[in-house]
Amino acid sequence: MIRLQNIEKSYRHGLSQTFVLRRVNAEIKQGDFVSIMGPSGAGKSTLLHILGMHDSAWTGEFWLHDDPIHQLSAKDRMRLQKQHVGFVFQSYHLLDNLTVYENIDLPLSYRDVKKAEREGMVADILDRFNIVGKKDLFPNQLSGGQQQLVAIARAVVAKPSLILADEPTGNLHSDQGKEIMELFRRLNEAGTTIVQVTHSKENASYGKRVINLKDGWIVDEN
Amino acid sequence: MLVQDIRYALRSFRRAPGFTLVALFTLALGIGGTTAIFSIVDGVVLRPLPYNDSSRILQLVRAAPNGNRDSFSSADYRDLKKDATTLSAVAGYRSDIVDLTGRSEPVRITGMQTTAGFFDVFDAPPLLGRTYHEAIDKPGAAIAVISEAIWKQQFGGNPSVIGTQVRLNGTPTEIIGVVPDWVRHPQKSDAWMLAPGDVPTSPFGIDTGNNSRDVHYFSAVGRVARERQVADARQQLKAIGDRLAHDYKNNAGTAIDGRPLAASMVADVRTAMLVLLAAVGFVLLIACANVGGLLIARGAARRRELAVRTALGAGRGRLMQQLLTESVVLALAGGALGLLVASWTLQLLIAVAPENLPRLADVALDWRIALFAFGATIVVGMLFGLMPALQSSKPELNADLKDGGRTGTSRTGMRNVMVVAQVALALVLLIGAGLMLTSFARLRSVNPGFRTTELVTVELMLPLVRYDEAAQRRFYMGVLERLRTDPVTAQSAMLFPFPFGGGNAQAGLQIVGQPPKPPEQEVSAELYSVSPGYLRASGVRLIEGRDFNESDGPNSPPVALISEATRKEFGGKNPIGEKIDMGDPVTVIGIVSDTRRRSLDAPLQAAVYLPYTQFVLPYMGAVVRTDRGAGAVAGAVKTAVNQIDPDLPIGDLKTMEQIIDESTGEPRFRSFLIASFALLALVLAAVGVYGLISFTVTQRVPEIGVRLALGASPRQVFAQVIGQGLQLAVIGVVLGLITAAAAATLVSGLLFDTSATDPVIYASLAVLLLAMAVLACYVPARRAMRVDPMTALRSE
Repeated sequence: MIRLQNIEKSYRHGLSQTFVLRRVNAEIKQGDFVSIMGPSGAGKSTLLHILGMHDSAWTGEFWLHDDPIHQLSAKDRMRLQKQHVGFVFQSYHLLDNLTVYENIDLPLSYRDVKKAEREGMVADILDRFNIVGKKDLFPNQLSGGQQQLVAIARAVVAKPSLILADEPTGNLHSDQGKEIMELFRRLNEAGTTIVQVTHSKENASYGKRVINLKDGWIVDEN
Repeated sequence: MLVQDIRYALRSFRRAPGFTLVALFTLALGIGGTTAIFSIVDGVVLRPLPYNDSSRILQLVRAAPNGNRDSFSSADYRDLKKDATTLSAVAGYRSDIVDLTGRSEPVRITGMQTTAGFFDVFDAPPLLGRTYHEAIDKPGAAIAVISEAIWKQQFGGNPSVIGTQVRLNGTPTEIIGVVPDWVRHPQKSDAWMLAPGDVPTSPFGIDTGNNSRDVHYFSAVGRVARERQVADARQQLKAIGDRLAHDYKNNAGTAIDGRPLAASMVADVRTAMLVLLAAVGFVLLIACANVGGLLIARGAARRRELAVRTALGAGRGRLMQQLLTESVVLALAGGALGLLVASWTLQLLIAVAPENLPRLADVALDWRIALFAFGATIVVGMLFGLMPALQSSKPELNADLKDGGRTGTSRTGMRNVMVVAQVALALVLLIGAGLMLTSFARLRSVNPGFRTTELVTVELMLPLVRYDEAAQRRFYMGVLERLRTDPVTAQSAMLFPFPFGGGNAQAGLQIVGQPPKPPEQEVSAELYSVSPGYLRASGVRLIEGRDFNESDGPNSPPVALISEATRKEFGGKNPIGEKIDMGDPVTVIGIVSDTRRRSLDAPLQAAVYLPYTQFVLPYMGAVVRTDRGAGAVAGAVKTAVNQIDPDLPIGDLKTMEQIIDESTGEPRFRSFLIASFALLALVLAAVGVYGLISFTVTQRVPEIGVRLALGASPRQVFAQVIGQGLQLAVIGVVLGLITAAAAATLVSGLLFDTSATDPVIYASLAVLLLAMAVLACYVPARRAMRVDPMTALRSE
């Protein structure tokens, strides 16, 4: 599904150059559940944002299915991102001004899904995630776990084949964290490819593979 | 999608009431002020006159050799009417004070004596009855058309007024029609009467049948024929003017032109109106910059939200659409409030506008204004929304999601630009206001040459039909004699014309014994007709010779006083005892101090005073020196007039202060407006500077914490914050000074005795603006001083 070849990212500071990622080569198959681990500053989040096509300032080759992302225009990348990727953040990043329903509806509205169809899809997700009763609440009326639940619901509502999660349980206490990881496992079992960045070995154990990064290099992969 | 964006926008504004209120208030002031001023400019300058095909109406203008506008003589008018084949209708007219009698109380109204083609030129359907026309109404028919206002006031709005006989200046006249209130040419006319001949009668009682080219006393208008172009008509009128100037010695150096009536009516105030519109446009731009700044700050605080939206699939166009929708929604709400502000402001402006502002009655808030406000609102929404939208719709995703948009110093660049622009625009306005106010103060400090306090004037015009020259003289002498017996009006005199009243009599100044001058060097003298005692009552100083006295009667040798400015025309000789050619030789018996007659800013001209017994006009009035007020004078004058002619109403009664106030009404009005705009601009710019610096301080709390932790003193932090604001203000001030100097020529024509690039005004207002900027930075700078390094670093 994903093939990375010699991915490099760096920043220039005057004459010197600081590398964030160095010669990253990796392959992620359809249905995989990969955890990216490593110390702070290792380049985990950067790699995730490259996979999520939020970042385009890198070199190397990045294939998603058979599409060469490294050769595509910003517009085409955006199209593929909308088609394939759902994103979950450590800080949930729900929009404060929107209700639960509206937050979940947002990705669909950006994909120009018709209103009637959107209503059906959001209703289905609310039901699946068991949050129908909270659909009219605003994020600040929810607990952290509930907010992350809504954020995941929002990430999957457009039926992405790939979910990218940046420390999804980082702000949650352990019970809530387990609940969220179980949810990821179920989504993975249902066929969704999941790539998560995590510091937690326990969370990594929910996945099938771990990629370890250090100073921008892949140091270990199992 | 749009509905959803609007709903989100409304919700987000509800959730940020502070931002919303400030933005709405700013926009309402900007849009409301602009709309109010636009409605005045629209009514006065832009809107076509309400007559059919009004662009074809030309004011026929005769220019004297010195460029001054002059009236028509009967012979020139007749020639013009005959030769102007491009005009389908031509009419001559002059205004007249008309006494409407034959009903209960005699009433004095402003009337117009016109030739039969007047309503062919001013094609307007009557409310009732009909108007007169050249094709069907022969000169001399005693018929009149009255205004809607007079119809309602004097005839109770009764439709049976048509066919009624009234006495206008003593002549039985039939009312044949009523025209709606919007028919008003010239301003304030209440009745239009058909002249007895093919030209209006002369106000001086001179027989106009003699085809004179010497006496210029009436105005003319024309309508360009349907099949002809306005430009052709103007060319033909110029050619006629050239021929008349060539063929007749009296017309040497004169010219004739046809100016579109609407432009001609407002020629004097057009520049001032456009300057005001530009000024209020500046206020609107400042308001836009202000709200734009607020939106950029808000955008910076919303970076996380925008990054999330992007991560969820929103393209840049989609984000731009949402952000622009928000700004347009905000602008529309501001525009709606602005209309309310405009309505109040307009009421206030109309109340304080000078009465003589042309076409003021045409000013109204209507669909055109609503359309303007709507258009302005959309443009404003785009204007202040575009930059922030462009900037905010390009989030730096990784960083924005990480720090939630907390740091953002790189994004204050556009806000800096906005603040600089605000300061620059505000300074231009301040300088404009400073120049106007200085000019106005200098205008008001001009010594008119006569007493301005404890002086009351009463117009006592006489209908020519009942008063020949001898009767006029008897009347004025009789009234003056009676006034002097009353202690309230003991110090009275008769005078024509009142200063700044528009009345005018002039004559070429020819000194007996000097060779005649070529036309371009001829000196024209202002003529006054005064009674003995005028100098004393009005405070005009006798410099040399003697004043008029009771012995200067109609049959005694003609005598005159001249003004100080006239002395130089006598070629170094002592004017006393010299003679002026006024038809008959008139001996100069005294020299008096100069006075101003047309306005405070008009240059001093030669002036000749003649005794009212020897040069009487039916338009004289009484000047009363009293400390008892206008009310007391009114009673005394009424009684005196009533004893001589019970059918004669007295005219306008004004104090000299009122007359001077009215004469400076237009510059006062525009100075007041520009000063108000400048004040508003100053406040908005201060809010802009405060907003930016306050925002920057909030963004920089961690950095300030580090500085303090590293040993910076609070005083250094304070100075740094003030310095940041001051730096922007200085750039704005420099740009403002350059812009103001570049725009100086636009306002120079509106200034009296004031240079449009007066360095003192420029410098003092620049300092004022910089002081304001320091003041606006003070509160955030104090806040920066008080940052607790521990707290600041913990939050980092």
